[in-house]
Amino acid sequence: MFTRWLKVVATLMLFASWPAHALLTIEITGGSEAALPIAVVPFGNEGFAPPEDISSIISNDLKSSGRFAPLKQSELISQPHEGQQVNFADWRLLRSEGLLIGKVSSQDGENYQVQFQLFDVYKSQQLVGKRYNVPASGMRTLAHQIADIVYETLTGEKGVFSTRLAFVTEMKNADGSKRYALQISDADGANPRTVLQSRQPIMSPSWAPDDNRLAYVTFENAKSEIFVQELSTGKRQSVASFRGLNSAPAWSPDGKKLAVTLSKNGNPEIYVLELSSGKLSRVTHNSQAIDTEAVWMPNGREILFTSDRGGRPQIYKVNADGGRAERLTFEGNYNASADISPDGRMMTLVHGVNGKFHIAVQDLETGAVQVLTETRADESPSFAPNGRMILYATEQKGRGVLAAVSVDGRIKQRLGESGSAVREPAWSPFKK
Amino acid sequence: MKHNIVDNLFAGASSLVLHVVLFAMFIIGMDLTSTPKPLAQQPQKEIVQATVLDETLVEEEVARLEKLEQEKKNAEKERQQKVQEQLEETQKELARKEQEYQDMEERARIEAEQRAKAAEEEKQRIAELEQQRKQEEEKRLEAEKQRKLEEERKQKVEAERKQAEIEKQKVEAEKKRLEEEKRKAEAERKRLEEEKKKAAEEKKRLEEEKRKAEEAKRKAEAEKKRLEEEKRKAEEAKRKAEEEARRKAAESDLQRQLEQEQQEREARRVKGVVDQYSLMIQQRVKRYWLRPANAQSGLQCTVQVSLLPGGDVKNVKIVKSSGNAVFDRSAETAVYKAAPLPQPSDPKAAAEFRNFQFNFKPE
Repeated sequence: MFTRWLKVVATLMLFASWPAHALLTIEITGGSEAALPIAVVPFGNEGFAPPEDISSIISNDLKSSGRFAPLKQSELISQPHEGQQVNFADWRLLRSEGLLIGKVSSQDGENYQVQFQLFDVYKSQQLVGKRYNVPASGMRTLAHQIADIVYETLTGEKGVFSTRLAFVTEMKNADGSKRYALQISDADGANPRTVLQSRQPIMSPSWAPDDNRLAYVTFENAKSEIFVQELSTGKRQSVASFRGLNSAPAWSPDGKKLAVTLSKNGNPEIYVLELSSGKLSRVTHNSQAIDTEAVWMPNGREILFTSDRGGRPQIYKVNADGGRAERLTFEGNYNASADISPDGRMMTLVHGVNGKFHIAVQDLETGAVQVLTETRADESPSFAPNGRMILYATEQKGRGVLAAVSVDGRIKQRLGESGSAVREPAWSPFKK
Repeated sequence: MKHNIVDNLFAGASSLVLHVVLFAMFIIGMDLTSTPKPLAQQPQKEIVQATVLDETLVEEEVARLEKLEQEKKNAEKERQQKVQEQLEETQKELARKEQEYQDMEERARIEAEQRAKAAEEEKQRIAELEQQRKQEEEKRLEAEKQRKLEEERKQKVEAERKQAEIEKQKVEAEKKRLEEEKRKAEAERKRLEEEKKKAAEEKKRLEEEKRKAEEAKRKAEAEKKRLEEEKRKAEEAKRKAEEEARRKAAESDLQRQLEQEQQEREARRVKGVVDQYSLMIQQRVKRYWLRPANAQSGLQCTVQVSLLPGGDVKNVKIVKSSGNAVFDRSAETAVYKAAPLPQPSDPKAAAEFRNFQFNFKPE
């Protein structure tokens, strides 16, 4: 009897363990973060030819992010411009997950109507579709906006294609003298325009969180001086012109303060300058070492900076109101020029190994460092506002150029193609 | 004087009459008083004839009766004999009385003659008249005497007849009684026979009953025996059935166990195939899963998949969202892109993949 009961129980347990009721579930972990295949079909034309190749700009934007792998034009099976022309099976065959189509029309060559539709190929579903009216001059900006929409729709993150880059160019005049310019370009490096020119060096541009002000250092008055310039009006103001060194301004997250490096007391130290009052407070107190290149943590309470107090430059963290600094970098004998990701989790820096300087990221939680670049004179890394890319300057053929690398190091690209030497880039925040 | 004679005459006559009457009364008995007048009124001759006829009839009747009786039974004869003897005695007595009567008459006549002779001288003078009257008187007396004789005889005959009738009645009654007795005897005999028969029948019945009872008892015993036998057989059968049932139960237990083991083996085999294909499917879907780069932080979604035979995806739906539309879509798309999913040829294992789930989560 007992054994029979046992058998029954055993049978029940067997059936219970057998997934007759519960559905078989297969765990999928990992996966890859490879670029997402997307088909960006050249937009159709009606009336006047558009001044910009919108689909090409979008495609390049998406590709530059490292998150998308746009199909080559030659791979496109067909070129629909409207939803009803789409045969999803075709695009599935190409393993394309997204499909972007659109068209541009104009009556006068001045004003254009642009529409686009983004589809999920596997679900045969339109994800987003919009229509715009823009002047010819707005066409490029619109293309970046559409790229942002596509990016955000398909990745869930904000795109940075409508943001801007600031950087300093150095040109040699015919007489051999140098001319410096503070320039702002589209996020792809294209469309640069100069906001400040000087015969003296311009250094360390820094975007205010409002996306409308830049702080930078000039030597135009024969000494280092920190200015804040309003981009929309061009108005600028000197905010730090102390004796000695005035350099490396960094905006606090609330846009009310600047962390700066001053040597007014003899040794370069980190100070916090309250812009509205001009009130200055000293953060670091180490007369034997250089403390510079401050950057605010997103919480606004801590500041990272570079110091050689340990003998070689390393990154330290200190409370914004002073106190004991904590060293963050231990790998390698040179770590400088830190920037912090918008989420505060990643730090990018210039990592020197054997006299070569690469862009690296360090996980602030684990301390793990990953070198992202292989070029040799990389400098001034700056996170994109979505934290996905890092803008930096590097040398190509002995000349400084802009480059960007994805935080995973997979995507590297040159940005812009000006004839000037480019240094000290900074990525803008999102547009307000 | 005259009166004396008359008186004497009348005295003699009265005495005679008295005797006759007495005699008649003796014979007739009580019946005399009942029918004296009708007898007196009957004509004399016819009465005599009737007497003779009656006697004959009686005799005939008697003879006939005798004959009949004699033929039938001797006891009756004896009785008849007695009756006859009685009758003869009565007749003898009657004859003796007759004689006495005649003697008396003789003496009266002698006396009268004497008286007549004595009175002859006295009567001589009136002789003639007296003679006449005397003759007439004699005639009348004679008639009277005749009448009285006749009457007496008639009475006697009647008495006899009555006697005979009584006798006859008695005989009849006796006969009837005898017959009754005989009938009764017969009835009794019959009754007895009947009773005897009944007794015999009763006996027979009792015997039959006894026999039946015995038969019943015997049968009951046989029945009891049979029942016991049946019970024994039933018990035997039951025991055998139970044994058989036990044996079968054991067999079926074994069979079940074998089947169960077989099922378990089969289940293990199917599970092995399912596991193998789950791994293949997992690897394939993994390869096609483009995980959003920002999806590290504990996102997880479950998609339910229906497959067509051959492994093509029929339907994919999010049954448990990660809360992140892009992540969810990446999972759905991964399944679609991985199609056709490898499918086992074993139908049982393949059935597991008709409808199943993926749980997508970054490392």
